[in-house]
Amino acid sequence: MSHEEASDLLGAYALDAVDGDECTELEQHLETCPRCRAELDSLREVAGAMGNSVEPLPEGLWSQIAVRLPERQEDEEAPPMPQLAPAGRSPFRPAADGPTRRRRIMVSTIGTIAVAAAAVAIVLGIGLVRADNRVSNLQAGQAAPSSTVAAALHAPGHRLITLDSSSHAEEAQVVVLPSGQGYLVSSTLPSLDKGRTYQLWAIEGNQPISLGLLGGSPSQAGFTMAGSTRPSHLSITAEPAGGSVFPTGPIIANGTV
Amino acid sequence: MPRIDELSDAQLVTSIARYSEVALAEAYRRHGGAVFGLAKRVLNNPTDAEDVTQEIFLRLWNQPDRFDAARGSLRSFLLAQAHGRAVDAVRSSSSRRAREARDAVRTADAPYDMQREVWDLAVADQVSGAMGELPEEERRAIELAYFDGHTYREVAQLLDQPEGTVKSRIRNGMRRMRAALADAGVRGVDA
Repeated sequence: MSHEEASDLLGAYALDAVDGDECTELEQHLETCPRCRAELDSLREVAGAMGNSVEPLPEGLWSQIAVRLPERQEDEEAPPMPQLAPAGRSPFRPAADGPTRRRRIMVSTIGTIAVAAAAVAIVLGIGLVRADNRVSNLQAGQAAPSSTVAAALHAPGHRLITLDSSSHAEEAQVVVLPSGQGYLVSSTLPSLDKGRTYQLWAIEGNQPISLGLLGGSPSQAGFTMAGSTRPSHLSITAEPAGGSVFPTGPIIANGTV
Repeated sequence: MPRIDELSDAQLVTSIARYSEVALAEAYRRHGGAVFGLAKRVLNNPTDAEDVTQEIFLRLWNQPDRFDAARGSLRSFLLAQAHGRAVDAVRSSSSRRAREARDAVRTADAPYDMQREVWDLAVADQVSGAMGELPEEERRAIELAYFDGHTYREVAQLLDQPEGTVKSRIRNGMRRMRAALADAGVRGVDA
């Protein structure tokens, strides 16, 4: 295909309106012609501008994506509790793991917001979200055996925060230490349907920061608020399994810090 | 470390390449609505549009290196991918012929509504204005190809015009759009 023929087709090609042999020949020309590639790039931007009409995203669509990232096997056991690791690195990689993306994805996912609800229910530690990095960086989720919680309740400088429903019924209590380490002390939150999970948020200047997933029937959980986090409230919402980047459900329980 | 919502799109993709699911979530938050919107418009079906949206973000996760920031914006990249996928689905549809006839009528008769719920109203205004300024035959050819997923040869049949004419109209219309958007200061469209 000559340069002129290719150039004439680029408008249609940018709209995916060229098919068959003609498409193949054009793509071969593009391989070797930087001018046509540059022209195509700019026409694709035009197409993008034309197609740029945002629809509200369907509820739960992100969860469907998130759960497909690890491509878990049906019979795979729930992953262990999340470990916190700096974003951008594979949080923890068993030595036996091959370097394939798929394996690493699975590992990565364990430590992030997309932990499946079934897994979260048995997870004792929950995710940390640093104020400076939003919903990221799940770090060492801590088990919170009752002795640890009891110790926290006797530690100097601890704060006990009660989260109430809108009708002022107590739904949950958490204790937060001066270090930012916190634990769920008690919860009377009703069990959620499978496919839903409670999620804990720090509200800082009207901005929700995820502190992690509590599972469908919260009992024990540890979390960390990074040192720079100065929330005015802690809130709990119910979210689709895998959690949400921003709250999608109403606040079920709310407490002043 | 900057907050995730302060990262540029290119930085987000770099993080995605390092298996940051949060970065993917942020890319989804920024661009998912546009991807879904375009897929829904082409496919005329929200369920299929959800499938395409899923596929596009999974593809970004699995093949982040396919995005080249030097070649354009992430949004345009994702929209081009979504459009290609949606068009593939439309073209493999068994009800294609009925759809063609219906779409041709609808497209020809439909009021110009490019501007639904656009994230960036300023750009949308520019796009809408530029589309409105196009000669009618160029605009119709572009809309039939882009929003209804027809090849330019099919558009020629639908409009009963020579293929070469339609090819030229699409090319000229796209270049006209590009010039108008570049004049209006829309980034990325200048060649």
